[in-house]
Amino acid sequence: MTSDSASSRKALSKIASNRLQKELVEWQVNPPAGFKHIPTDNLKRWVIEVNGAPGTLYAGEMYQLQVDFPEHYPMEAPQVIFVPPAPLHPHIYSNGHICLDILYDSWSPAMTVSSICISILSMLSSSPAKQRPADNDRYVKNCKNGRSPKETRWWFHDDKV
Amino acid sequence: MESEDDMHDANEVASVEEDDNYYSGGEDDHDMDEAGEGEDYGYDYDEEEDDDAADYDFIANSDDGDDALVSRSQKNYTILKEEDIQRRQFEDITKISTVLSIPREAACILLRRYNWSVNNVHEEWFADEENVRRAVGILEKPVVKSPNYKEVSCGICFESYSIGKLRTLACSHLFCDTCWKAYISTSINDGPGCLVLRCPDPSCGAAVGQDMIDKLASHEDKEKYRRYLLRSYVEDSRKIKWCPAPGCDSAVEYVVGSGSYDVTCSCSHSFCWNCAEEAHRPVDCETVAKWVLKNSAESENMNWILANSKPCPKCKRPIEKNQGCMHMTCTPPCKFEFCWLCLGQWSDHGERTGGFYACNRYEAAKQEGVYDESERRREMAKNSLERYTHYYERWASNQSSRQKAMADLHQMQSVHLEKLSEVQCQPESQLKFIIEAWQQIVECRKVLKWTYAYGFYLPEAEHTKKQFFEYLQGEAEAGLERLHQCAEKELMNYLSSEGPSKDFNDFRTKLAGLTSVTRNYFENLVRALENGLSDVDSQAVCNKMSSKTAAGTSKSKSGRGKGSSKTGTAVRNADDSGSWACDKCTYMNARSAAACHVCNHRR
Ligand SMILES: [Zn+2]
Ligand SMILES: [Zn+2]
Ligand SMILES: [Zn+2]
Ligand SMILES: [Zn+2]
Ligand SMILES: [Zn+2]
Ligand SMILES: [Zn+2]
Ligand SMILES: [Zn+2]
Repeated sequence: MTSDSASSRKALSKIASNRLQKELVEWQVNPPAGFKHIPTDNLKRWVIEVNGAPGTLYAGEMYQLQVDFPEHYPMEAPQVIFVPPAPLHPHIYSNGHICLDILYDSWSPAMTVSSICISILSMLSSSPAKQRPADNDRYVKNCKNGRSPKETRWWFHDDKV
Repeated sequence: MESEDDMHDANEVASVEEDDNYYSGGEDDHDMDEAGEGEDYGYDYDEEEDDDAADYDFIANSDDGDDALVSRSQKNYTILKEEDIQRRQFEDITKISTVLSIPREAACILLRRYNWSVNNVHEEWFADEENVRRAVGILEKPVVKSPNYKEVSCGICFESYSIGKLRTLACSHLFCDTCWKAYISTSINDGPGCLVLRCPDPSCGAAVGQDMIDKLASHEDKEKYRRYLLRSYVEDSRKIKWCPAPGCDSAVEYVVGSGSYDVTCSCSHSFCWNCAEEAHRPVDCETVAKWVLKNSAESENMNWILANSKPCPKCKRPIEKNQGCMHMTCTPPCKFEFCWLCLGQWSDHGERTGGFYACNRYEAAKQEGVYDESERRREMAKNSLERYTHYYERWASNQSSRQKAMADLHQMQSVHLEKLSEVQCQPESQLKFIIEAWQQIVECRKVLKWTYAYGFYLPEAEHTKKQFFEYLQGEAEAGLERLHQCAEKELMNYLSSEGPSKDFNDFRTKLAGLTSVTRNYFENLVRALENGLSDVDSQAVCNKMSSKTAAGTSKSKSGRGKGSSKTGTAVRNADDSGSWACDKCTYMNARSAAACHVCNHRR
């Protein structure tokens, strides 16, 4: 499911690893509500547990996010996907790809893993129905061979979800 | 992205199109359409419409009415070189900066947002300055308080710095120079979106202006930025387009509503300003698009046509076409003279035989006998390809003939003219008529070429129109052949002669006459076809065509009709005045002339 692109195989730049270390420290002091970082020895890939917010369609459910950082993080956005099984949501594909603008075009280096997590939880919480995107099957088929969602040209859904 | 409402905004972000949409206005603003912590900064981009749209509505209608008849000598466009564009940008920025009392970089951001229209900037600004400032990110005061402690962390790398080391836009979001540089460089290398770059803080819309770029970008990146800015002046405008010729950096500003879209760049490339294809009068852009599509669909079937070699119809040896005109002469001993287009004997062409030049016409193959359904369908498919082949071949022949003529024109200007001037003892200034002849040939080949696309799409059912069209086209073809032959072959005699020829002045008169006659004929032809042959009068046409007078090259003097209604009649009534067509060169002579004005041939 991870990207094979050259950038993801390259080691983190010094700036990137410094910044990630700082983010990790901040996370340990002040983790976003509903998320748990699963410790590994790999700074380049974070695995984060997501707990559906109480009172929403996903209450009591647990999912995993996989965050891969490129060499030039945070100038380039990280790749963020749900590890299947991904939550049933109109903007989340069954292969775990997430249609959320800040992960792609609207990424800004002043954002953090923590702010991404908050956006994703907000997206889950506001879902009116547990269903896959209309184009799920076609999209997932096109993503065979481990294409990264960052290579997708996203049309961000304009429905009110 | 803290609340539900914020999410809505995020999901409304329009599209992720590629570079070509960067200049299309509104969409880019969504880049920073991150809802902020407070109402103040949650901009409502939906209200920004393309304010210019209304201004341009009339482009679509510009072909209407008499506009289309504006004389070609009246230029309805301006060529802009890179330095012209830069000068205009500089002047516009100065104007806005002065009138609005804002820094140059802010004026530049405003102009870019409003497609470099000084008027639109004024209008929008004076209508609602606050809204405009917010929309483009020109802030008057900081959006956050500057911290009052000494050590602050950069908003990107989170490293601590003393406050003096950090840099901010008007908004007071602080980032270190290393992060600013990386941010700017990443954006510039991502494409023209760097022109609408905002503060890295996701909630902040403060625009990154050129002053910041100048301070922090590498030399190479600054140059890229400058190019994007230059490009935006042309690509944002609906009145300016780049010249499509490869390697040409000029742009053409077109006066909307001024008729013909054909423009000629300073690089000498002629193109249609509207569709960027090569110039294609008298055919409209849609027909050209259809034709180009058809050609690419059929290209495999048509390759043989472009081969430029055909067997001589008499001796069957392959003949290479190496001259511009369609009059072919096989190599000795055969020396058969034939027409490249129809492979018919050349002597059958033109007025001498009493018939008119007819190899431009397509006569569907006669169907004889009884066909069963599948045979008929096969036959029809074959016919439709045959029909297309007929038009395509003539289109392509005129195209290559034109290219040859362009090369010849160049050769003439660079080599032959000087030699001719020596041989014939004529100052070069007296030989301009030769260059004019060649320029006319190049132009006419182009028009003639497109008449074949015109003919292909002329509805079969409109018999009269089609007949009339083919008549006009045939005459055009014949007239141009005469001119082309004269400029190509007859000229050679004077070029290769030992000394001054005593009939050189006759040659001058003839070539200049043919040039002027052909120019007038083609100008009328173009107008008549652009009018859709609207005033075809079947009676007159049939009379005309049966009279077998070569009236095609009519109206050399009075051809510039006042309007559309005159053009068709100019051709039709040619001999009503009692004027007569010369047997030899077809020049329409006045009734009183006893010998041809152009070639001296007696009546
Ligand atoms: Zn920094
Ligand atoms: Zn800011
Ligand atoms: Zn050009
Ligand atoms: Zn066009
Ligand atoms: Zn032969
Ligand atoms: Zn012929
Ligand atoms: Zn004559």
